[in-house]
Amino acid sequence: MVDWKEEIRHRLAGLNIEPCRKAEIVDELAEHLEDRYSELLGGDATPEEATRAALAELSESELLARELRRVERTVTREPVVLGTRRKHMIADIWQDLRYGSRSLRKNPGFTAIAVITLALGIGANTAIFSVVNSVLLRPLPYPEPDRLAMVYGISLQAAQGKTPLCEADFLDWKSQNQVFESLAAFSTNRFNYTGGETPQQIEGAWVTSDFFSTIGVQPALGRGFLPDEDTPKAPQTVVISDGFWRRYLGSNPNVIDQQITLNARTFTIIGVMPPGFLFPEKETELWAAERLAATRRGPYYMWGLGRLNRGATLERAQSEMDMIARRVQDQINSPNRDWTWTSVSLAERIVGKVRPALLVLLVAVLFVLLIACANIANLLLARATAREKEISVRIALGASRPRLLRQLLTESLLLSAIGVAAGLPLAIWGIHLLVALSPDDLPRLQEINIDGWVLGFTLLVAAACGLIFGLAPALQSSRLNLNESLKEGGRGSADSSGRRRLRSALVVVEIAFSLMLLVGAGLMVKSFLKLQSVSPGFNPEHILTMHLTLPRAKYDSDEKITSYYRQIIDRVTAVRGVEAAGLSISLPPNNLEVSDSFSIEGKPWPQGASEPIVPIVSTSPDYFTALGVPLLQGRGFNATDQEGSPPVVIINQTLAERYFAGETAIGKRFKIGGADRTRNPWMEIVGVVGDVKYSGLEVKPEPAYYMPLAQSAWRAAYLVVRTPLNPAGLAPAIREQIWALDKDMPIAKVATMDRLLAESVAQPRFRTLLLGIFAALALVLASVGIYGVISYSVTQRTHEIGIRMALGAQAHDVSKLVIREGVALALIGVTIGLAASLALTRLMESLLFEVSTTDQSIFAGVGALLVAVAVLACWIPARRASRVDPMVALRCE
Amino acid sequence: MLDRELKKGSAELLILSLVEVRPRHGYEISKLIEARSDGVLKFNVASLYPLLYRLEKRGWILGRWVEKAGQRRRRYYRLTREGRKVLAAQRSGWEEFVAAINRITRAESA
Repeated sequence: MVDWKEEIRHRLAGLNIEPCRKAEIVDELAEHLEDRYSELLGGDATPEEATRAALAELSESELLARELRRVERTVTREPVVLGTRRKHMIADIWQDLRYGSRSLRKNPGFTAIAVITLALGIGANTAIFSVVNSVLLRPLPYPEPDRLAMVYGISLQAAQGKTPLCEADFLDWKSQNQVFESLAAFSTNRFNYTGGETPQQIEGAWVTSDFFSTIGVQPALGRGFLPDEDTPKAPQTVVISDGFWRRYLGSNPNVIDQQITLNARTFTIIGVMPPGFLFPEKETELWAAERLAATRRGPYYMWGLGRLNRGATLERAQSEMDMIARRVQDQINSPNRDWTWTSVSLAERIVGKVRPALLVLLVAVLFVLLIACANIANLLLARATAREKEISVRIALGASRPRLLRQLLTESLLLSAIGVAAGLPLAIWGIHLLVALSPDDLPRLQEINIDGWVLGFTLLVAAACGLIFGLAPALQSSRLNLNESLKEGGRGSADSSGRRRLRSALVVVEIAFSLMLLVGAGLMVKSFLKLQSVSPGFNPEHILTMHLTLPRAKYDSDEKITSYYRQIIDRVTAVRGVEAAGLSISLPPNNLEVSDSFSIEGKPWPQGASEPIVPIVSTSPDYFTALGVPLLQGRGFNATDQEGSPPVVIINQTLAERYFAGETAIGKRFKIGGADRTRNPWMEIVGVVGDVKYSGLEVKPEPAYYMPLAQSAWRAAYLVVRTPLNPAGLAPAIREQIWALDKDMPIAKVATMDRLLAESVAQPRFRTLLLGIFAALALVLASVGIYGVISYSVTQRTHEIGIRMALGAQAHDVSKLVIREGVALALIGVTIGLAASLALTRLMESLLFEVSTTDQSIFAGVGALLVAVAVLACWIPARRASRVDPMVALRCE
Repeated sequence: MLDRELKKGSAELLILSLVEVRPRHGYEISKLIEARSDGVLKFNVASLYPLLYRLEKRGWILGRWVEKAGQRRRRYYRLTREGRKVLAAQRSGWEEFVAAINRITRAESA
């Protein structure tokens, strides 16, 4: 008899449908033919005739195949055993993906842990990288930003930093140089804007006429400055920011050529900048045309901004500036030849300071991700052991090893793809959080976002992760010893020694990386605590401060200024709740306005040495009381120290110790500037006060001296008010008094001293917080990792432990055995980590305050902490091991 | 030619009608069609089964392997709830169609 199924199968050979379905169809059709055959045979047909007639039913077999193809879903054929047949790349990948997703779905616990770990790691990396990308990597938002450079004066004696330029410097340099296509100068300034509802202090800048053309951004409305608009006779013109235009001028489109009052003078508005133009400071809202006066060598107050010629380098610029400086020194016959000009790229000037911190954070967050990868690799290794059977069977059925490797890698890449999908929303949230938490003085803060580069970075990192945590387990699995793993019956086979070594190595790596992170975080925390414990030199509690600027037009003489200050102090002191009120031109912890050199009578500076330049602060009599600065010797200023009375000066403790060692400073004579400044009068030192930080808490105590505001009038001063009450609550009453005296007096920067102190350390606090979070995350991941490995090893060794206990080992012997295993791994990791930390923490040098990059207490403490955590992580598996019942352990073999 | 088209268009209706009352297997269906049409209509394997599968895929009939004592395993098709609606619609459509054809052809011959 004919095998109907064979006949049908033969005719349907070309049909690509699911194997099970095909078998079913073959069965059904065979039944039909069999029925037909039996019926014909039941009549009077011979078997041959019956067979022929039955087969005739299949006569239109092409039609059958075609119709079936139309009805049934055709599929790409899938070998019963994955990886047995070489086929199309794409089909294979698709097949691997489906297989991978099935196997991930089958292990929801594993998948969830791996995805959560990855999402956290990838999310954190994306967030930090988007900050690094926006702040450090992305070009500045100006045309051809790499041609922009800042120009300063610089002393050849390294001690002094960059100094501003004077007008003559700028004009010389502008007329003689050939490296810069265009040059501008600017100085920041606070303008009193009157004409709104209340007088306002607006941050602005005096700029030369080339300012906008140099930076390459033109006003969105109106025009920039014309070449001669920065000369003394030109009418006063100003360009305003988009924000100023909206806030104070109601976005009036006809604002061009309108006039506004700044510093009690009339300025014509000629342009409105586009939104987002934030230069030189992000608060800058006004750009007023500078009036470059003649060729004065001093005061030094302007910063240069240049656009290099195409192809010119900063090195060439430097050699040319050196040459011009030499020429200028000859020309003016300067005795002082230890200065030149220097330039630095604008990007470096804007973000250079935050680069180390951001790079440290980027490295830290990458470490966290690597630790996460190590953990996932460990999970995969554990799973590989469980899947050994599956893989052996596939190898036995003919799957090739490279093909198998690819399938396992596809699975881990799929895992990291899911990690990215889950990590990106986390990253977006993280960026919002970062921007909200980050200190206001982080440059380019408002430019932070996710762009194509960030996405590319994320995908790259994720792919790398997939390879890192997938490769080792996959290689291990594909190198499986078939004979062994198939032989071992139903029980999961014993962990191969190679795999165990790999798992241990991963834990060692994890511990080493977490140690580096913890050391970094530890150093940062220690440094931050030190910074916070620095005494600012006064009692910062219960102090309210604000800044006043007296318009030149109204207060045009020293008498008017002094009289105003005297009256304001009287009025403020009379406010209920005010204990003391003082004025000062500079304010701690980091608002130093004026520095200058000094000379002491009878103690000329050694020949050739640069004179030290130190803070010089003009104050009202009660300033020291209001701030709480201790008077160490002599007296403070009083009402008799006024214009016309003998000039007096108070020096600080450091100045007294450094320049009057072993003698009393009181009664000695002292003056501003060096011997050449003969017009400055000698002043008598009447007192010595404690050191106060004016240049930031992190700066070492420096010499400083004070003069009575009445003898050296300034038009801008900070008001310092001490009160036993809540200082912020006092602000309205004081503001009222100030406006009662002069309704046009602008008040700015109203703040409590507590807040100023906190803000001054916002950047270190921010980076310490972030690094601390990353280190904590690393510690958790590493302890989970070590727990996983030890607890797995205990499971694997149950049999061995059973034998030991049967032979008389006590519970605590077994615990010790297990803990020793974990601690040994921890110690290796700690040793490697400590060595690597020694090399790495050097990167952090500029971020640390009074803490060595090799601080022994931190290194030792962190090492001990990690070992302790390792012991704790082994504790649970150790207890489980000690409770193994030898009978059970041995029987289950 | 007309014969073939008619057969194709009406084949669905035939099958649905045949499994309306009780489930039947493929061979039975083909025999019934041949017998009841007195041999005018004949379905072979290549035409019948793809049609059955299509109807099954549409959810109008449902096939099930059934093994009865003393008989071979066969696949029985029964009408689904949806198939019943389709059958009613197709049946009335067919009747209208035939009536229309009749009206035309009779008028011509009369």
